[in-house]
Amino acid sequence: MTRGTAIYAARRLVLVLGTAFLVSSVTFLVIHALPGTPFTCERNPAGCAHENLVYGLDDPLFIQYRTFMWNLVHGNLGYSYVNQGVQVTPLLLEEAKNSLILGVFALVVTIVVGLIIGVTAAVRQNSWADYALSTFVVVGYSVPSFVLATFLLILVGILLPTWGGSIGWGSAEQIPIPAIALGLPFAAIVARLVRASMLDVIRQDYVRTAWAKGLSSRVVIIRHALRNALIPVVTIGGPLVTGIITGSVVIETIFGIPGLGKEFVTSILIRDYGIVVGLYTFYAVLVGLANLAVDLIYPVLDPRISYA
Amino acid sequence: MTTITTGLNMGGPIAPPGTPGTVDYSIAPEQVSLWQDAWRRFRRNKLSIAGMVVFLVVVVVAVISIFWTPYSIYAQGLGDVTDPLSLKHPFGLDSSGRDVLSYIMKGAQIVIEIGLLTAVITSVVGVTAGLLAGFFRGWVDTLISGITYIGYGIPALLIAFLILFVTNKPSILNVIIALSVTNWMDMARLTRGQTLALREREFVEAARATGTKDFTIMARHVLPNALGPIIVQATFLIPQAILFEAFLSFLGFGLPSPDPSWGAMVADGLNDRFLAYHTMIVPSLALLITLMAVNFIGDGLRDALDPRLKR
Repeated sequence: MTRGTAIYAARRLVLVLGTAFLVSSVTFLVIHALPGTPFTCERNPAGCAHENLVYGLDDPLFIQYRTFMWNLVHGNLGYSYVNQGVQVTPLLLEEAKNSLILGVFALVVTIVVGLIIGVTAAVRQNSWADYALSTFVVVGYSVPSFVLATFLLILVGILLPTWGGSIGWGSAEQIPIPAIALGLPFAAIVARLVRASMLDVIRQDYVRTAWAKGLSSRVVIIRHALRNALIPVVTIGGPLVTGIITGSVVIETIFGIPGLGKEFVTSILIRDYGIVVGLYTFYAVLVGLANLAVDLIYPVLDPRISYA
Repeated sequence: MTTITTGLNMGGPIAPPGTPGTVDYSIAPEQVSLWQDAWRRFRRNKLSIAGMVVFLVVVVVAVISIFWTPYSIYAQGLGDVTDPLSLKHPFGLDSSGRDVLSYIMKGAQIVIEIGLLTAVITSVVGVTAGLLAGFFRGWVDTLISGITYIGYGIPALLIAFLILFVTNKPSILNVIIALSVTNWMDMARLTRGQTLALREREFVEAARATGTKDFTIMARHVLPNALGPIIVQATFLIPQAILFEAFLSFLGFGLPSPDPSWGAMVADGLNDRFLAYHTMIVPSLALLITLMAVNFIGDGLRDALDPRLKR
């Protein structure tokens, strides 16, 4: 890592933290400015007053905001309003672990399937294989992830009724189906990019030289062509990671995976204000850091890019 | 005497090339405008034409559904969800005994409204912001680019959900607002880039030299020349909006229950999967086919309008 890269990374990090601060402030203020309190006071006025006292909801908004920020700086995202006594930070970290496992496997599906399809289509340009794969790609990026997930669910139910690999979380056999459902639509996008950039690279002089030298096609395609064809593909790394994080919301909900995405939907549906604010902050940091990581990988893959 | 010879004039007397006094137009490239040229190339793309036809069918179905559906979408208990697909109910019935075909038809209305309105609103906001930022530069650019830069750091999902959370009343309008707020930034960035390049061109300089006002230059000289990529981007906004609405409705954040959203229908179908599959498959296919059609139109437009891909 050069000095320029370090400065660049530091500046981006400040931006990520700034964005997270903005997101948490806006979410906090917007949610607390909404009319009404999280606790219904009609049925149980005494209990409601107690809750408001415990959560400090009687304090002026400014004091609440100050407490929230003070806790935030110390890594404490507060407490759940619905499941009382549950701390948000450890809850989210535990859920982030599940989401990470799912996300990494989905990313593997995306990259492996995307590369195989993209390279095959490019090498056999205008053949029936190319047309078939290109059609698959259009279907792939048109199909909503929840449609793909429901079809996979039904397919597994019909073909392998005894296999426990569809709904639930906790064992290894429950990983592949949601990972495929999450990763496959993005594989279509990767395949499309790989095909285009491979077609570009295959016509370059150095690839013709490699063929002329009598190298095996595997070496030419993988070592000479693909390595350079991958560079444009890396540019969608940021949107890809954001997409997988976002996509996990629906996939985790369908497959009942206790991850961040499922928490996102549930906490909003049951109006658990404490978790909503904490989760928004967490997501903003997560997406920012993921994008930063992708940007820092570019110059490693392509020495022509530098942040100096 | 001057004989004009064209490649198309096959019937008349043709002077041999090089005859003095004739203008041989057959060797000069035919003059066509950008839009004629684009249309010609778009027409050659069979998939795009097919996509256009499918999209028009969806639009027609949506319009018909305003006045007529085979059954009322509120009519429940027409039969059982496990009844086989029949002539009376080509797409079967859902678990409340409602006619799925009627539901799909009404749903087309929502798909078209959300897709088109979001694309239009997003484009107007994004193009205006991009034009202003690229043309005036300075603090205007810093402000607009700053907003887009921060906006990119926040997943669209978070912004959309916060808006829906605050309004607390899912309606078509709120979904469209949420989609527009999260999508205008791409359009602004694209237009800004185009404007930055165009504002340095000679014809803009000429317009400025003749005393044309800034806003006239933007509207008459810059915008028309940036229109190609903007149209392509706007076309791809339609499937994005449809997809996102379906996504929200599937999760239960979209339109409330009597409103027939295809995304919500898939969610209902998923719950009914132990009874029957058609309640899930029919809306899924409707979504898939519509999205593919619009994506094919977008692909065709891009190939036809993007000068970098010319021939």
